[in-house]
Amino acid sequence: MEFKEKRLANGLDLIGEVNESAKSAAVGFFVRTGSRDETEQINGASHFLEHMLFKGTERLDAFEVNKAFDGTGAQFNAFTSEENTVYYAAVLPEYVIEVTKLWIELMRPALREEDFGIEKNVIKEEIAMYKDTPSFDVMDRCRTLHFGSHPCGNSVLGSEKSIDGLTVEQMRDYFARRYVPANIMFACAGNLDWDQICSTLEEACLKWQGCVTGRKLEHFQGSKKKERIERSNLVCEHICLISPCVSFQDNARFAASLLSIIIGDSVGSRFFWELVDKAIAEAATMQYSPMDGTGVMYSYIRCSSKNVSKVFDIVGDIFHSLSAEGITQEELQKAKNKVLSALVIKNELPMGRLVDLGFNWIYLKEYRTIEDDIEAVKAVNIDEVNSLIKQFKPGDFTQFTIGPASNG
Amino acid sequence: MGEHLDKHTLKNGMIILGEPMEAVKSVAFNFMLPAGAAVLAEGFCGAGNVIADWIFRGAGNKNSRQLNDALDGLGIHRAESIGSSHITIGAVLESDNLAQALDLYADIIQKPRLEKDQFELAKQLAIEEVHALDDEPRHKVMLKLREQFYPHPLGRSTFGNLDELKNLTAEKTQEIVKNNFNLSQTIFSVAGKYDFNAVCRQMEEKFETRNSKFEIPTPPAFGPGESAYGHIDEDCAQVHIGIMTGTVTPASNDYYNMRMAVSVLSGGMSARLFTEVREKRGLCYAIGARYHGLKDAAGIMCYAGTTPDKAQETLDCVISEFNRLGEGIGEEEIERAKVGLKSVLILQSESSSSRAGSIGYDYYMLGRVRSLDEINDKIESTFVDSVLDFLRKNKFKDFTVVTIGPKELTTR
Repeated sequence: MEFKEKRLANGLDLIGEVNESAKSAAVGFFVRTGSRDETEQINGASHFLEHMLFKGTERLDAFEVNKAFDGTGAQFNAFTSEENTVYYAAVLPEYVIEVTKLWIELMRPALREEDFGIEKNVIKEEIAMYKDTPSFDVMDRCRTLHFGSHPCGNSVLGSEKSIDGLTVEQMRDYFARRYVPANIMFACAGNLDWDQICSTLEEACLKWQGCVTGRKLEHFQGSKKKERIERSNLVCEHICLISPCVSFQDNARFAASLLSIIIGDSVGSRFFWELVDKAIAEAATMQYSPMDGTGVMYSYIRCSSKNVSKVFDIVGDIFHSLSAEGITQEELQKAKNKVLSALVIKNELPMGRLVDLGFNWIYLKEYRTIEDDIEAVKAVNIDEVNSLIKQFKPGDFTQFTIGPASNG
Repeated sequence: MGEHLDKHTLKNGMIILGEPMEAVKSVAFNFMLPAGAAVLAEGFCGAGNVIADWIFRGAGNKNSRQLNDALDGLGIHRAESIGSSHITIGAVLESDNLAQALDLYADIIQKPRLEKDQFELAKQLAIEEVHALDDEPRHKVMLKLREQFYPHPLGRSTFGNLDELKNLTAEKTQEIVKNNFNLSQTIFSVAGKYDFNAVCRQMEEKFETRNSKFEIPTPPAFGPGESAYGHIDEDCAQVHIGIMTGTVTPASNDYYNMRMAVSVLSGGMSARLFTEVREKRGLCYAIGARYHGLKDAAGIMCYAGTTPDKAQETLDCVISEFNRLGEGIGEEEIERAKVGLKSVLILQSESSSSRAGSIGYDYYMLGRVRSLDEINDKIESTFVDSVLDFLRKNKFKDFTVVTIGPKELTTR
């Protein structure tokens, strides 16, 4: 593994980790923009824009773009979160340059009005689809409730209303502000020729212009509000709990990730033994989500209506015992074993490596080897985890539930 | 592409398959146990789901807690799945812990404690899972589609039937484990970093030589697919549409021509369904078709989710794309399909869990493991004419359609 980096004169960062023994490579553009960078009027613009990039450029229409990607056999896609939009492709080594050139071209899209109109329908279908996926819907709504007026509460998809109201001019304006070189980063991993990739990017991207665009960073303790909505077609109660936690920039993120495994891994965690093993809840998991300047712990629990109050009693007990007694050495060791093996397995694929490589750079401007992360996980001690519990009080959460109408 | 296949048969008849991978530190393994949904007797739909949970609630000298702590201590990532023919018990972990993991799995498979109080919990969870499925229409529609498309019991729900689950007893479920965890018909596959001789020695030592006398029933031969339309009325935001039509099985000589046809239809973003349904008409966000193959029956299954006003147009558009396929395919479309299929093959070959799954699947379906070179050559030897010829000989006649949503559709 060899790390490479270069900053172009216009501020665009290029990074890569070359691994000649890999059979494939992965490349991606990471754009530091997402729903938290939107105003209410343009809510959903980041995600809609991600769709619009695939609609082509002045030279290529959407079908030509799709044909060009498929012609390389690439596994390609994109995703948008509250704070990042990532475009990626996993590909065989002989197609790396071709796919990179394609992404470079798409990063300067045409944003045609007629494409915008058709894609609006697709976005609204995506919103409808997630409405029919309560496990997703409840998390989205709980995040909005938790963050209140903090921009991290903005929905990634937007609402049908905000999407209807969005104009192509607003999107072009948003693009011009956010897709500037200093707000974009290119990363690659796996079996590839760094010099060739670098010169390809340098030649094509140097002409990209635009000023640095900021983002207000504020930690947020959360609203701690509790809400429930009903849907007549549902059978189960879907529960989401959110509590604040450390940001990606905080070294305690490794301890936070271990804590989430101890409380809510899908097997062997406290949620598992107290809720799932005893068949009180059918699913109960916790996930740590480190973000830019802030962070949260998400819990998702699914149970029958008759078990709801029992679930909340048990969850209360779990958090109470954590704050009173802390975690055990044995729990910490098991969590480390799980996190360490997951790290090894994920990073065996260039695509898995690309994601870690990219996010470490986006948030920390730092190259971290897999070994750096392994050491950091191993070094976490019980006091660090217990002090996170004391500081962030995971039992003091924002709560959103979606369930059937019959439950009073 | 230089990969190597290890193969050995234990004294008890269990097949051991292995694919060593030089670039990885992980190892993945799967036990394919002949206890899938279609091979169980009438009245026990869902027993597999209970079993996959129950066997982890204590085995050998360990109770549930001790067993799960031991698995967690090895950093094992577990994956259990219920299919039509098998229950697959899988794991992926760092290779240094393989021997200890296999010791634990030998107990889980041969000496599960199967205690009665634990049975009730496992059964309750399986029942709750069926209820949870009602809240995920996107997933549920595809299970209903399979149930309706395949001749019974091939398409039996792998989640289970509520009434049958409620009537399930610990005694009967114990009997299924005893009978169907038949080691002579179990396939064990391993991929990644491992020492094959050591694995075989350990498996021979840890797995009993005596065997269940129980004959696993062969599900009935494939009859014609049911072309009925089924609708479940539900007040959700979209109409979730599942469409399935019969095609050749994995052992067929036409298998690769069929795979190419499916790729032209839905292999990538330039494929026909995505282009016609989503890109040109904006009817759907989620649209796609894929091959679903059992040993004795197979189909091409398609999902489309769309709001009620667009649902009929979406269904009509998808069916017409199926029917249009045999009328002509471009050279370029075939080229893209070839590149796509070959690329997936190599990208997946870097993942130990993906390889362990593939070699086990091949062995069950074909009685042998295909090399990547063989698959590559077979893909290369398809052409526009061979794919069209296949489509002419195997016209899409009957479509099984299932919808869940606020609007019933018309099938023509």
